[in-house]
Amino acid sequence: MPEGLRLALVVAGKDIRAELRSKTALLSATVFAALVLVIFNFARDPTALSAADLAPSALWVTFAFAAMVAMNRAFTVEREHDAIDGLLLAPIPREALFAGKLLANLAFVATVEAVALPLFVLFFNVDLSRSLWGILGTAVLATIGFVAVGTVFGAMVVRTRFAELLLPVLLLPFMVPPLVGAVQVTSRLLADRPLSEMLGWLRILAAYDVVFVTLAALVFSSVVDE
Amino acid sequence: MSAAVPPPSRDRARAVIRRGTVLSTIALLGIAGVYVLAAAFTPIEARQGVAQKIFYLHVPAAWSALLAFSLVGIVSVLYLWLEDPRLDRFAASSAEVGVVFAAVMLTTGPIWAKPIWGTWWTWDARLTLTLFLFFLFVGYLSLRGALHDRRERARFSAVVGIMGLVLVPFVHLSVYLFRTLHPQPIVLKPSAPSLPWEMLRTLLVSTLMFTLLYVGLVTLRYGIGLAAEAREAHDAG
Amino acid sequence: MPAEPPANGGYAVAAYAVAAFVLLFYFVSLLRKARK
Repeated sequence: MPEGLRLALVVAGKDIRAELRSKTALLSATVFAALVLVIFNFARDPTALSAADLAPSALWVTFAFAAMVAMNRAFTVEREHDAIDGLLLAPIPREALFAGKLLANLAFVATVEAVALPLFVLFFNVDLSRSLWGILGTAVLATIGFVAVGTVFGAMVVRTRFAELLLPVLLLPFMVPPLVGAVQVTSRLLADRPLSEMLGWLRILAAYDVVFVTLAALVFSSVVDE
Repeated sequence: MSAAVPPPSRDRARAVIRRGTVLSTIALLGIAGVYVLAAAFTPIEARQGVAQKIFYLHVPAAWSALLAFSLVGIVSVLYLWLEDPRLDRFAASSAEVGVVFAAVMLTTGPIWAKPIWGTWWTWDARLTLTLFLFFLFVGYLSLRGALHDRRERARFSAVVGIMGLVLVPFVHLSVYLFRTLHPQPIVLKPSAPSLPWEMLRTLLVSTLMFTLLYVGLVTLRYGIGLAAEAREAHDAG
Repeated sequence: MPAEPPANGGYAVAAYAVAAFVLLFYFVSLLRKARK
């Protein structure tokens, strides 16, 4: 296994183990996701807007906000334990450090999404029998993009006093293209539309991922180094 | 670590402030002239009526906001490469001035949209993009406000600036794809291929004045930043 | 027969006033910061 990848996995493993011990990020984000889904149900007029129409948006707004909660908590916990200083002293190439943090954040957000999805199916009465793999694939595609940006911004705002407020302010504009793409694809998947109708959006999602994961990896060293 | 840069002198700060004030005043007077030009010396557009004249403020403001934003992005890349604090000072000034122009655009836009398209807001490409620029500016300035170590603030701002610049094409693409699927109300494009000479002239003069105002305000804001740094160094030393 | 252009001058006045206000407000606030 190439050294960089091994180091990335070590970094990710450390973060994931730490989170599994304290569980703060996972718990708060999961509860948050459930609450948002419930609110969506009550925040609409059932005679005017059917659950099916609202479903893709509700799912993705939930994912987006829960992901922010998870990422914010993950960095805050690390700062509270001053763990990052030890990590920076070790001779880990910054790209590997970023990859490790990205993998850990992806694991957190994926866990929250994995809990939110069944709740979503339950509350909104959605039939995923034909679209499950498509939804999962879209979730992976969209999540990678905004978690990459969130990892960079999370590392920055954790140094400030208003991290919980600043992360959404900074991150939300960056979540819009993946969100728009994800909602468009999800609504087509749920309506059983042909793949050709989704290709444009899927390409944007993929392009976004490639561009922003690369960019985030490149600028990460500017964020963690003195 | 780059070599320490000597703090700016108060005299230099004052000189820059003076230059910025003069340029901005000239530009504002020029814009007042544009007001007169648009009101009295430019024909009324037949289909849109007098409200069309908002065009002569809205478009130059959009141009200035976009200019401000692009420069923040480009300067951010340069800063990460060269680590020159002057680049960071410029970026901060350009962002602040940019958010003001974006605000002008976002207020004149709906006031123009209502009589022309019957709705205060449309998710058309230009308004949507400006809204994004506005939020990106606000995020950039909020982050700067929360960071107090100068080098850290400069580095982090540069990261946001670069990522914001890269985001813009994606927003544009998403809006475009979104709109081809959900046709919006027919957009009356005032900038039709054959814009009468008087209208074109007013638009160009206005754009020139707005650009000059951008330069003047950024210079003024830059000078104020220099003065603050000079004061800090004086108090500390 | 060409129709009369719509009577929407009020909007133009409002927009021009708002733009002037925003720009002047910012300029004046900068001048005050410079004076300190």
